[in-house]
Amino acid sequence: MSRHHRRRHSAEAGSDLGFQIAPMIDVVFVVLVFFMSLTAAIKVEAELNTKLPGSATTSAAVDFPDEQTIGIDAAGQVLLNDAPFDGPDDSELPSLTDTLKRLKENAVNARTTLLVTISSDPKAPYFRTIDVLNVLAAAAIDNVTFTVDDGF
Amino acid sequence: MAGGGSGDGEEPEFQIAPMIDVLLVLLIFFMSSITKQVARVDKSITLPVAHNASKRDNARDESIINVRWDQAKKHAAFVFEDKTYERLDPIVPVLAQLQSATKKHRLVIRGDRLVPAEQISLAMAAAASAGIADITFAASPR
Repeated sequence: MSRHHRRRHSAEAGSDLGFQIAPMIDVVFVVLVFFMSLTAAIKVEAELNTKLPGSATTSAAVDFPDEQTIGIDAAGQVLLNDAPFDGPDDSELPSLTDTLKRLKENAVNARTTLLVTISSDPKAPYFRTIDVLNVLAAAAIDNVTFTVDDGF
Repeated sequence: MAGGGSGDGEEPEFQIAPMIDVLLVLLIFFMSSITKQVARVDKSITLPVAHNASKRDNARDESIINVRWDQAKKHAAFVFEDKTYERLDPIVPVLAQLQSATKKHRLVIRGDRLVPAEQISLAMAAAASAGIADITFAASPR
């Protein structure tokens, strides 16, 4: 320690500074406000899972699933096996939900696999696809797949 | 905590400067880590709402394709790893490499709610070409 520093230190020894809590709290609050603002920026997201169709090689017998096709036209109208269900602006799709729940129950009772294929019109808004996936999640239907074009 | 005693019998003081130093280092650490987490998602996208969607599983190995939609210009763009693409051809080899590295790799599609379904279909086709069958759609729970 230098002579100058030691002299200053001895001069300050008389006054007891103690632990300076004020600047410490100041810094902690700045950090707190920073993280609060960042946390508000982070939005909670959820997810809807699906599997794309693929090919599988098997030598055992294969049970053909009970397949249903859900179509979505350009206006957002949802069709189950070509029959329209609910309105194009109805995001809850109650009739489709009830029907799919019944189909799921039937599939469970018959011990078959219920497979749903979603086929959207290219111009249909994406949120209608999510509405349908939301209904499928409500009906506890896991086997969902899409028709996908070859080119991209 | 070690004090700043010089061994000459004086009372050790609490050193506030190194404490602030440590706090600032922590601040920078959290800034960088949280900024990285926030940067993975595209805030310009308004996700569609799905009340029955499950909680996001962040523990899985995943890639994210953001599908932006400009309603005024009726134009879609794909954002993958901070780069914007008009077509998905260049992304496929990257996705195929990620899929071969970890077999349980999945693709998260974050599409704007108004984007036409054909753009989402293109993203799924790219995933299929890369050998990824596990697709997840991001949605807002409310």
